[in-house]
Amino acid sequence: MILDFTALTQLQPLFKLLSSGAHLNRLKDTELWLELENFQSHYESLFAALGFILVVDGRGFAYFKTELASSYTGKLTRRLALLIMLLFEYQADQGLHLFQFQQWRLDTSLLDHLWQQYFALFEAEEINSQKALKDILDSAARVGFLVSDDDVYYLLPAVHRYLDLFEELAQAERSEHIKEDLKEDIL
Amino acid sequence: MSLAQYGFQKLVLLNSAGYSRAELPLDDSVSIIAPNNTGKTSLINALQFLLILDKRHMDFGAHSVENSKRFYFPDNSAYILLEVLLPSGMAVIGCVGKGLSHDYEYFAYQGSLDLDDYRLDDGKLVAQPKLIARLFECGKPAKIYPQADLRALLYGNRQKQRADDPDLTIFPLEFTSQAATYQRILTRTLRLDRLDSKEVKNYLLEIFKHDLQDRNVDFKSEWDKSFADVNYDKSQYDAVFRNQALISAMEDSQQTRQALRGKIILWRPLIEQALNDWEDYNNSTTEQLRLRLRTSDEEAEALENRQKTIYEDRAEAKTVLKGYEKIESHYQELIIQFQFVSGIAQLQNQRQLLQKQRDELMRSIGNAEQQQSLGAINRNIAKITKEKVDLQRQLQSINNNLYLQLQKLLPTDSFEFLTRLLAKSVLSLPIDQAHAIELNDQTALRSFAALLESRLSANRLELPGLLLDLSALEPNLIIKTAQELEIEISDCERQLLELNALLNSVETLSQQKQNQQKLEQQIAELTNDEKNYEELLSLKVSALERSPAIEALKQKLTLLERETSKLAEQKKAILLAQEKHKADQKELLSQHQRINTARQQRLDQQPPFTILEQLPNFACMDATELAMPTLADRIETYNRDCYKLKQIDEQLNQQLAGLHRDGVNKFQAQDTAEQELDALFNYTAQLSQEQEAIERKARSAVVQVAAILRDLRDSLETFKRRMREFNNKINRRQLSDLKVFKIEPREEDTLVRAIQTLISTSEQVESGNSFDLFDQNTVLDDKELNKAKDILIKEGEARGGLRVEHLFRLVFIIAKENQTPAEFEDIDSAASNGTVLMAKLITGLAMLNQMQDSRKAIKTACYLDEAASLDQRNQRNLIEIAEEFGFTLIFASPEPQITARYCVPIGTTKGKNHISRLNWQILESLADVDN
Repeated sequence: MILDFTALTQLQPLFKLLSSGAHLNRLKDTELWLELENFQSHYESLFAALGFILVVDGRGFAYFKTELASSYTGKLTRRLALLIMLLFEYQADQGLHLFQFQQWRLDTSLLDHLWQQYFALFEAEEINSQKALKDILDSAARVGFLVSDDDVYYLLPAVHRYLDLFEELAQAERSEHIKEDLKEDIL
Repeated sequence: MSLAQYGFQKLVLLNSAGYSRAELPLDDSVSIIAPNNTGKTSLINALQFLLILDKRHMDFGAHSVENSKRFYFPDNSAYILLEVLLPSGMAVIGCVGKGLSHDYEYFAYQGSLDLDDYRLDDGKLVAQPKLIARLFECGKPAKIYPQADLRALLYGNRQKQRADDPDLTIFPLEFTSQAATYQRILTRTLRLDRLDSKEVKNYLLEIFKHDLQDRNVDFKSEWDKSFADVNYDKSQYDAVFRNQALISAMEDSQQTRQALRGKIILWRPLIEQALNDWEDYNNSTTEQLRLRLRTSDEEAEALENRQKTIYEDRAEAKTVLKGYEKIESHYQELIIQFQFVSGIAQLQNQRQLLQKQRDELMRSIGNAEQQQSLGAINRNIAKITKEKVDLQRQLQSINNNLYLQLQKLLPTDSFEFLTRLLAKSVLSLPIDQAHAIELNDQTALRSFAALLESRLSANRLELPGLLLDLSALEPNLIIKTAQELEIEISDCERQLLELNALLNSVETLSQQKQNQQKLEQQIAELTNDEKNYEELLSLKVSALERSPAIEALKQKLTLLERETSKLAEQKKAILLAQEKHKADQKELLSQHQRINTARQQRLDQQPPFTILEQLPNFACMDATELAMPTLADRIETYNRDCYKLKQIDEQLNQQLAGLHRDGVNKFQAQDTAEQELDALFNYTAQLSQEQEAIERKARSAVVQVAAILRDLRDSLETFKRRMREFNNKINRRQLSDLKVFKIEPREEDTLVRAIQTLISTSEQVESGNSFDLFDQNTVLDDKELNKAKDILIKEGEARGGLRVEHLFRLVFIIAKENQTPAEFEDIDSAASNGTVLMAKLITGLAMLNQMQDSRKAIKTACYLDEAASLDQRNQRNLIEIAEEFGFTLIFASPEPQITARYCVPIGTTKGKNHISRLNWQILESLADVDN
């Protein structure tokens, strides 16, 4: 494929954002998203040639898929995963639909509730205070999982990655159960 | 299967695409059987020339259109022919090569396709130039159509057809404008390329275009347009609200200003008049005051004079009175003095007696006065007494005195000289131990005398430094004898006796003379008494006249006193009057000066005072009398008012300019600053109403914007509805092993929610569900609303307008049995090869079907390569589904597919492929055969 670099006007900001490990979100970075929408295949092949796997998710986010993770991002990812998982659990307990997570207001009172309910789990991950919770959210905001507005956080579409993962895990767990059940049946 | 069904009948290729001849039935499902790479696909692709027509839309995969032309039209006797049964009867559409250029042209005619029409008697094919004539000969009046005209014919675009053209509509579209889309989808469906959700979305949007209110909403401009007024009003409101305190102060100033103007307007002519009259008034008043002052000066002087007169009168009266009183007291004294005197005669007698005594005394005194004077006698007595004492001393020291000693010791001459030298008294001094002269060494004295002797010569005494001539001196003392001395003493005693007797008589004389004087005095007193007595008598006579005179005088004095005190009061009054006049004068002068100064300082000769009446003002209701004495005060007040007015003018102008700077410019269009101020004050006074008005405007703006968004949302809903119908359409039969196969729109949540927020806000506003209930949440300050707006603006700006397709994306939802449905954006990766082929085909066919006019069903054809990857059940399903959508399905595979009605093998002779209808194998189900 022959690439016309002059057509890829947003190449520089796109690469800068994505290579920093951040997620591009449809609503937060509308122009970049539009560029990706229009020239997705161009970008995909260009980045692939550079050794990056560009993933554009129709649900409104894009990122570089990478197997490498520094110890810091690994820690952050782990903590964020925990936080988001607990958040989903908590919200599900409140009867909220998980796929509408973009509408949730993550304000101080919600974080307080989370903290109160799961502080044992948080402490196990060395998240020792509500302040640490906020720090995690701020870090996550920097890589495009959240957006902060007036001290209130909103989840961005990129959180789908976590949600997918959770679903996958849940699915795997279910099929294990089924397998076990089958085994039992056979026995 | 009835032949009466409208649709494709057969496709014929003559001398084209490597076929010498190919006849392919299209009235029912066909299975083309041939090994790979024997021209199955080229056979199907030949349809593109007839159905797509537009070269731009044709797609020959790896081959370019140019190469394909060469392939399909090698010379001018290459034909692609399609027989179609239409409601108007059988028709043939053909495409013939034009020769070396490998170009081609279209022709069509009504009638069935008979291959003999294209073959000459010598077995050769009719060349393009002779084709029309040949067809005409065969009774088939064909017509050459330019590509565009034929396209119009086939897609039923009546507007582009000529009236005499036959109705050759193969694709009766609901909307002929969708022809291009139809062609594109048809191409794809014929080829079944990679199909992703984005493309499907684009096609579906095209297909449903007429159901959607397909507006490109420039949300930002719509919003700005609707809110332009509101935002302006709000900015004005905010600016005014910020400056409320200042404006209310300005309003006060304006009130004051208008009141001042009224006052100045009222007073100005009065002051003008008064100033004109002032000189006269000043002069006349000055003169009056001067006169008054003079009059009172004169009065004061008269009073002074009168006072003087009174003083004089009083002094005079007092003097007279004193005289009378003196006389009276004298009279009283005389009365007392002469209480016991019976008459003047008594006094006269006394006097005469005394005169007699005096006369007698005078005589005796006369005798005595013949004698020595008393003094002389006394002197004589003293002299003689002394002489006697002297003598007695001499007598006592007669035997031992200096004289004697000196006489004894000294030579006679010397003694004599010495006696002459020594004073009698000295020489007469006694010498003894106890006295002054002591002779203690006679020898020494003698030697001294001898010395002295040498010094004394010829009557001269020469002492060292002193020469004394003794000739002029006489011997001093001759020592008397004792007798002589006694005699002389007795003489002295006798003389003393005589002299004492004489002294006695002389002394008596003075006493007598004193008596005489006493008498004389008494006589004089008596004479005086007589005179007094006479006076008493006369006073007694005048006493009667005197007492009334005294009374009268006293009365006069009282009157005078009274007048004096009255005069003092009058004087005081005059003094006061004078002071007052002076003060008046001073006051008048100062007024005059003040008025002159004020006259200089008047401001009202220049604008704005000259046009004051034309400016808004409050009529002043003050009492308008202007008394001259108050003019100075008045004009000063007036000047102060003018000054104040000017200050307020400047201040207000500055404040107004300040407000302009702060953004308050709503009223700047007013003709004058005054009107602007009035408008501003009105506005400020009604700030709360203004706020409501802005709120109302904002609400109606929201409603306006929401109306546009509502179109978008409705379109989205419509699209979703259409998609549900579409899904129903493709799900009528189960596809392969797929439990679920759906193409579903997924809303872009945030955008749709933003739109929903705006719409629901507007609904709230419209339904009168007033925001007043929770006042803090007004439309303008609604955070949610603003956020929604921002999102839409951002999105709209990035995409150059909001369209319905921005609100959703499409996903394929696929699930096999025992699986939870999963979403895919690209169907190729979703399932097995055959399943994917089916899904694509069905999707494409459903889309094409969607565009067709369901009332005029004309069956066309579609193509499925690699049909062997589907099992028979699926093949049958597919055939039926295609049938329902109005397509006959053409399978291509190396093996015959028995699910099709026709099996058509491709034969090869002399390197050329050929299909003859003789090779067609027609399959019928046993059930049909039984029937």
